[in-house]
Amino acid sequence: MRLFMHNMRGMSVFPVLLTVAAAAGLFLLPNFVESTYALHIMILIFISVIMGTGWNILGGYTGQYSVGHAAYFGIGAYTTLILMQYHHIAPWYGAWVGVVVAVAIALVVGSICFRLRGPYFTLASIAVAEIFRATALNLRLTNGAEGILITDIPPFKIGNTVITDFMSKVPFYYMGLVTLIIAIIVTRMVQNSKLGYYFQAIREDQDAAHSLGINPTAYKNAALAISVVFTSLAGSLYALYVGFIDPSTVLALDLSVHIVMICIIGGIGTIWGPAIGAVILVPFSEALRSNMIAQALIDSGLISENSRIGSFLKDQLSHAHVLIYGILLVIVILYMPDGILGFARKLLTKRRKETI
Amino acid sequence: MAVFFQSLISGILIGGVYALIGIGLTIIFGVMRIINFAHGDLLMVGMYLTYFLFTLLHIDPFVSIIVTIPLMFLYGAFLQKFFINRVLDALPQNQILLTIGLGLVMSNTVMLAFTSDYRILTTTYSSSSFNVFGLSISTPLLISFAITIVITAILYWFLYRTDTGQAIRATAQDRGAAQLMGINVKRMSIIAFGLGASLAGTAGALIAPTYYIFPQVGSVFTLKAFVITVLGGMGSIVGATLGGVLIGIVESVGGVYIGSGWKDVIVFVVFLLVLLFKPSGLLGTSKD
Repeated sequence: MRLFMHNMRGMSVFPVLLTVAAAAGLFLLPNFVESTYALHIMILIFISVIMGTGWNILGGYTGQYSVGHAAYFGIGAYTTLILMQYHHIAPWYGAWVGVVVAVAIALVVGSICFRLRGPYFTLASIAVAEIFRATALNLRLTNGAEGILITDIPPFKIGNTVITDFMSKVPFYYMGLVTLIIAIIVTRMVQNSKLGYYFQAIREDQDAAHSLGINPTAYKNAALAISVVFTSLAGSLYALYVGFIDPSTVLALDLSVHIVMICIIGGIGTIWGPAIGAVILVPFSEALRSNMIAQALIDSGLISENSRIGSFLKDQLSHAHVLIYGILLVIVILYMPDGILGFARKLLTKRRKETI
Repeated sequence: MAVFFQSLISGILIGGVYALIGIGLTIIFGVMRIINFAHGDLLMVGMYLTYFLFTLLHIDPFVSIIVTIPLMFLYGAFLQKFFINRVLDALPQNQILLTIGLGLVMSNTVMLAFTSDYRILTTTYSSSSFNVFGLSISTPLLISFAITIVITAILYWFLYRTDTGQAIRATAQDRGAAQLMGINVKRMSIIAFGLGASLAGTAGALIAPTYYIFPQVGSVFTLKAFVITVLGGMGSIVGATLGGVLIGIVESVGGVYIGSGWKDVIVFVVFLLVLLFKPSGLLGTSKD
């Protein structure tokens, strides 16, 4: 235990080993898990972690609270699917085109909006996302409110060997996992680099950072660009996996809020915060949505299926998943404002003080 | 030309209601520096109140505001005292998320209780209109506009002529200094949120006869409220009044000439431009 505490302070072997072991475990998981539902949940978690980790670079480390990241998620999703459906460009190229388009647009938006601070920036980011949503609703290119439905994904080949034909969930699982690992490695690299210190300096005090020679707009744009790469990739992955996109799912304000929530619930400005947030939020909301919790309550014998409460829960609880989401959000903000990671850390230091 | 004037008039009439929404948001922001993302949901609660007062107790929607205003005030005061008040010194993203969370709770509670069906409140005069100089004016819109003017006048009188009103404005100007002058800042915050909620609720009541009523209706109005307040200058009451009417006109005229699909784009582009070139708003003088 002492060794562990000691290692927590500096660069150490133990957490790295643990991370590598966890990653290896995740890589092997599809070999042991047969259930497609479990894989489905894992893929949804991966997508959420990727977009949360992306937002975290801008919101967590640089302190720019964008509530409009759905715009970049949507740009990634739309670019990939438009190129694939209408121009027959394979999605593994399309996704990168999506990244380029999203970053280019983000830099234009950023150089305009980063002149604003605090709540004004937040409002501007919402406005930008709403402009994209309304535009996608009206353009023929994006097929308006009908959205785009994938007919089929071409098989992924290297040379003449078919690597995968995307018939099962496994290829999506690995695409998500690899992107997620890259996102976390990038966050770690950013956190310990000069760039990351500039970001955090801007977050703590923009004017002081500026007077020390850090150009706030340039570095905010850098943070936005890194952030958008992952948000856009998450969008492309989502579009390919789900196979259908429309403005009210991939460009909605709800999605932007969901992205921020993942980070806040886990712990903002930390490497593992978004991952923890996603691991808690995604299965929870899926369980509610699919009526698992109501069924479990009935099965456990706590509530009889034929009683009024039982039938009410069975009919309504799946509709209530957003309600519980909202309640959770309020509770976390009021009682754990630093997220679950911050809360756990506080408990740990308290206990450590008590033992000393 | 008749089409232009027709859309102009409808714009001004609906703009009155928008002004109420904007004034509510701007008072809350002024006093607490909190952007209330649940503002549209408060409006939605007002709509449902009005709907049930009408269908169950047969109270005319325009009369029912006598009940809606105090109820929504109490509801707003409750939200401030038990939730908002605890994050006044928190990070801005936490304040935003708390109001988003409260909004989600409101809209989904309503959905759970009354399903997500669209409801329509039909009064005897819902679709009636009359002609003035060849322009047709919708009766419910005109009545709601008249009520808006009365409420706005009372509100101005309250804020500029009474001690409590001046204390609220003082708190909005400088919270610290107001406290030093012996103003009970906590109480002012509760009153401000109550006022904001009752204005949003009233706006909901006023548009209930002419709008679809459903649990998710709030988000549209939350976004509109942001545009209106920023346009007028965050914290400026006169600005929000003008901003509301202006957005009403832009939407109505834009809907006719550019098509209803693109009018939202125009509104948000205008919003962004104002944010960028005059972030203090058209009438704002606030420091930040």
